[in-house]
Amino acid sequence: MTVLDSEPAATAERPATPEAGRPPRFARGWYLPYALILPAALLLIGIMGYPLVQLILLAFQNTNDFLHLANPALVKYVGFDTFQKVLSTPEFWQSVERSVIFTAEVVALSIVIALAVAALLSRVSGWVRVTVLTVLMFVWAVPAIVTGTLFRWMFANSSGVIDYICYLLGGKGMLNHDWFASPTQGLYVVAAAVVVWGALPFLVLGFHAAMTQVPRELLEAARLDGAGPLQSFRHVTLPVVRPFLGIATALSFIWDFQVFAQIESLRANTPEPGYQTIGVYLYAKGIGSSHYSNSAVMSIVMILLMLTVLVLYIRQVLRTGEQD
Amino acid sequence: MAATTTAPRRSARAARASESSQFSGVGRSRTMTGVWNTIALVFAVVMAFPIYWMVLTAIQPSRDVLSAHPKFWPTGLNFHSFHTVTSDPNFAPDLLNTAIITIGAVVLGLIVGFLAAVSVARFRFTGRNPFVLAMLIVQMVPLIALIIPLYIILNREGLYDQLFGVVLAYLVFTIPYVVWVLRSFIVNIPRELDEAAMVDGCTRWGAFLRVILPLTAPGLISTGVYCWIQTWNEFAIANTLLSSANKQTSMVWLTTYSASPTHGADYGAQMAGSLLISLPVIIVFVVFQKRLASGLTSGAVKG
Repeated sequence: MTVLDSEPAATAERPATPEAGRPPRFARGWYLPYALILPAALLLIGIMGYPLVQLILLAFQNTNDFLHLANPALVKYVGFDTFQKVLSTPEFWQSVERSVIFTAEVVALSIVIALAVAALLSRVSGWVRVTVLTVLMFVWAVPAIVTGTLFRWMFANSSGVIDYICYLLGGKGMLNHDWFASPTQGLYVVAAAVVVWGALPFLVLGFHAAMTQVPRELLEAARLDGAGPLQSFRHVTLPVVRPFLGIATALSFIWDFQVFAQIESLRANTPEPGYQTIGVYLYAKGIGSSHYSNSAVMSIVMILLMLTVLVLYIRQVLRTGEQD
Repeated sequence: MAATTTAPRRSARAARASESSQFSGVGRSRTMTGVWNTIALVFAVVMAFPIYWMVLTAIQPSRDVLSAHPKFWPTGLNFHSFHTVTSDPNFAPDLLNTAIITIGAVVLGLIVGFLAAVSVARFRFTGRNPFVLAMLIVQMVPLIALIIPLYIILNREGLYDQLFGVVLAYLVFTIPYVVWVLRSFIVNIPRELDEAAMVDGCTRWGAFLRVILPLTAPGLISTGVYCWIQTWNEFAIANTLLSSANKQTSMVWLTTYSASPTHGADYGAQMAGSLLISLPVIIVFVVFQKRLASGLTSGAVKG
């Protein structure tokens, strides 16, 4: 058995000679693993690799209307002109600014709430926990487009239930309050609520799962040593949860920075300029008004802006994988 | 090797430990549990309220929907809104399109992804590690950045406004996810089981069919459900690649419907439509709830 166990490591060092001395156990022929990954590799090259190349080419072209798309003869390579044009547009930087603020707000809110709820779930009775988890499962299942539509209705300025609840709670002037009149309120309150509501199920369930790995003995020992609930959370629970915390924060950043569907449906398919985060803005420019090259530049800038977090996330995932 | 074989035992012990801590509590007083229970239930009510409001609006008679003082309880059961949406000529075709696209993308993604996952989990070959790393990186490329080039390429290939084009586009996120999650599933199946099957006279393909495939089934189900949800709910790609009204998906249908002048203010119908198009996902979720929770921890946490 030990010979068998160490064998894969040995072949790993001589990958080019899979037939090394003895017949391989699972299948003969060096080509088999390649044959198995071939469909996936080809498809991904076709639908992701090729489009990414196309994206970079577009960024250096002048394909900014449908005519250029239909007549490749008109397409010219214009160097960094498109970059210069897009990067000197104030609207672009405003959308970047909105995305940064929105992402920071939503990530912080959803992570803090999710941590608090997960910590709460380890203190409640069994039936309460089942209730909360079941509700979260249902929330998780609701499509983003439906969430946006639903919140547009709940926050509507006539017959909207949120206005009515505010009114019942004492906000007398709130009965016909228009939450969407000011984009600042519409984006950073309503759209943020949409995204946080939709993000909580994954985060709470993830943190809850991570917290069940905290050894009970450690919590008891901490309590006997006189640690308060906050201290034992800080020094016992948090270190166990940290790997997932890193992954969850990075993933939330990645998802929230490119938010699109929720805002699009919240504003009934026509988000006003004040609602244009970078995803909404580049979609409106690229698909909405056929400025393909401009939009390609924005996409590239967006990926570059996310790059640090992406790299940190990938490193964290690889490190977590190694520990297992 | 040793680590992978002890992993199930370790997690079983952890589950048992957590279960006992959940029910006995760490020596907390009754009143505190009462307080925590109340806070948790308030949270559950706040989270559940939007869904409740969607259902309530859909079944409420329209005069109570459009009242300045909306009622928090059903004042009657009225299926008028459901009738309004289902009689929309594009509702049924678009729902069918969504089902076709979803099934296509999930099945293709699972088959192609499973083969690749077996390859990277069971073989060592040049290019294996770069391929696995690529699967991780590829999941992180923002979809919205790919929409324009995908549109241009599929348009050139004559796949614009075709359901198959959208199925292909959705493989962008289903394949890497399936490979990534199933890889860790298959790695955790002890190699000795394949060998035992072959010692007992199975061929390689027999070992594959009788050992790896059945043991990966739970993983296939949870990744399948996850991909199902992703594809069913996707909006931006479908909105770009499909233009004919009867070739769109339900998510595109809902945004078009609720932005139309005739139905823009008919929130009863919008909510009924929202509910109907969410049901397939909700049902899948309820049926596979347990598996999803475990898939979450094995997929997202372990990477």
